[in-house]
Amino acid sequence: MNLLGSLLVLLLPLAVLWPLASFAAEPQEIVCIQCHGAMPGKIGEPVKLWKGSIHAENGIACNACHGGDPKDAANAMSPARGFLGAPKEAAIPAFCGRCHVGVLKDYLASAHGKALGKGGPTCVTCHSNHLVVKASLDIINEKRCSQCHSYERAKVIRAAMQETEAMIVAIDKRIAAYKVQGTDTESLEKGLFAVRNRFHTLFHNVDVGMVKKESAGIQADLKKIQDQLAALDDSRQKRKIAGAVVVSAMLLLALFAHLLRKTFD
Amino acid sequence: MALFKRLIDWIDVRIGAREIVAKELTGYLLPRNINAWYSMGSILLFIFAMQVVTGILLLIYYVPDADKAFKSVSFIMNEVPFGWLIRTCHAIGSNMMVLVLFLHMLSVLFMNSYKSPREFNWLTGFILFTLVQGISLTGYLLPWSQLSFWATTVATNSANAIPVAGPYLVEFLRGSKLVGPPTLGRFFALHVALIPLGMAAVVGAHLFFLQRTGVSTPPFGQKETANQWQGDGYRYESHPGGIPFFPNYALEDLRSIFIYLACFLAVVFFAPNLFFTSDSFLPANPLQTPAHIKPEWYFLANYQTLKIFPNEFIGLSVQGAAMTFLALLPFIDRTRERHPLKRPLFMICAVGGILLWVGLSVWGHYS
Repeated sequence: MNLLGSLLVLLLPLAVLWPLASFAAEPQEIVCIQCHGAMPGKIGEPVKLWKGSIHAENGIACNACHGGDPKDAANAMSPARGFLGAPKEAAIPAFCGRCHVGVLKDYLASAHGKALGKGGPTCVTCHSNHLVVKASLDIINEKRCSQCHSYERAKVIRAAMQETEAMIVAIDKRIAAYKVQGTDTESLEKGLFAVRNRFHTLFHNVDVGMVKKESAGIQADLKKIQDQLAALDDSRQKRKIAGAVVVSAMLLLALFAHLLRKTFD
Repeated sequence: MALFKRLIDWIDVRIGAREIVAKELTGYLLPRNINAWYSMGSILLFIFAMQVVTGILLLIYYVPDADKAFKSVSFIMNEVPFGWLIRTCHAIGSNMMVLVLFLHMLSVLFMNSYKSPREFNWLTGFILFTLVQGISLTGYLLPWSQLSFWATTVATNSANAIPVAGPYLVEFLRGSKLVGPPTLGRFFALHVALIPLGMAAVVGAHLFFLQRTGVSTPPFGQKETANQWQGDGYRYESHPGGIPFFPNYALEDLRSIFIYLACFLAVVFFAPNLFFTSDSFLPANPLQTPAHIKPEWYFLANYQTLKIFPNEFIGLSVQGAAMTFLALLPFIDRTRERHPLKRPLFMICAVGGILLWVGLSVWGHYS
């Protein structure tokens, strides 16, 4: 055998594996973060807040909202490069609504939106401006709502939505658990995505009757997804029962072969 | 029964079937102290056959195209009747094949059955070991998942450590600069055609050498345990007064295969994801490197070895040297004694080697 050749043949299959850290190189920071991140006080604070946000988690950086050139420090804040800076208060919903189109529509139709420019809240009043966290029912709380009005009405709305939210969270977890087992969850995920979006439109609605009515319809749709998950549970349970039968059969056949072998001693 | 006897008679007068049965089955005698470890080879043959059958069934729906491979595997797992069972059996079967192969090699090692005149048996067995690793590695890419893609990227990239030829070799293995559709085509051809054919041929050679040398006598329970082979001429190791292969040992083989099947099916039905990580169920994304990619359990020691050494080429060379030593063991270990307990130095090296391998694997898993 050609030793060098065999060595190569032996080495290649063996080599799955390198220190993989080298593959996970950190992406280079944009110039906005390089400069503002190093600055103290008010100018540097947005970077610290943004790092804990849902935007940072999803790779939405400064320039996605504020424009400008994130690769050129000299012209990063040049209006010629599309820099917008911070919007005036009345322009905030339109500023965020460039991406969150559906949410803008819901907001403008709500009592909150109708009070825009007349002391009513904007997006950042509830969601904050840089530390934007994933939207959930937790946003509706006494501390936040009491900034502008009493919490009573919001409390009723939150209670009406609580059960639906819990159902969505539970279904989401179950789908994720099936997904990491190789189950095709695409249709379930799409179904939940559509229902969740419908549910989120209620977040900007302050009509208690409407919220209660819509929540009932959403829960009916969620029940359909739960039924599909129950069918999956049932199928997995049946597989386990079948497994117990075949494993037992194999052990019995092994015993039979063993006993038969003894008869030939 | 009369019809069956007539059929046998009809065949016998044409090809002498009864003579073959008398010589190769009922008259094929094995040592009386033969043990269950000798069944590992039969279990391996059974696993190989199962891998071929399940592999052919998977080929009906699998599409070796980078755009369609992941979806086709997902379709097999979720839509094809019993597709999940076939695919799970194939994937778990590949891991079981490596495990049983390790056990087979260890039993041959500890019973010192690799010694003269069985050098060819050991060498063909060792080639089969590398081919099994090769078929596992190439099969790993086919689902085109995140795990497949990045494990193959890392594996093929390691060839870069070879001086001068490294970059050319990497491109040759991948069919392009990076892992991509040409890599899938190459690995698919290797996995379903070239390596299985190679394995079938080497299995044939392995069995041929076994048939020519005869089954080795286990050193356990014997007074004289030194190798009796003189090297002065060809001699078949017969076992007068031994037990017939059929039905006696064939039933023991069958018992071992059923026990194996019970263990294998227990994993298939109760822990089908034992060898899968969540990255196995995400489609390959060349732009997103997963945070924690680990190789299959049987490559973990190699993975950790590469991490220990500061230079990639040194790491590969050490592994290559260890594998070459193992491949050439029958030519290096020329002592006559075969009982492992009468060979303390051998036992220290063998047990130490196994512990080192296990230790590196555990370290690699948690690193």
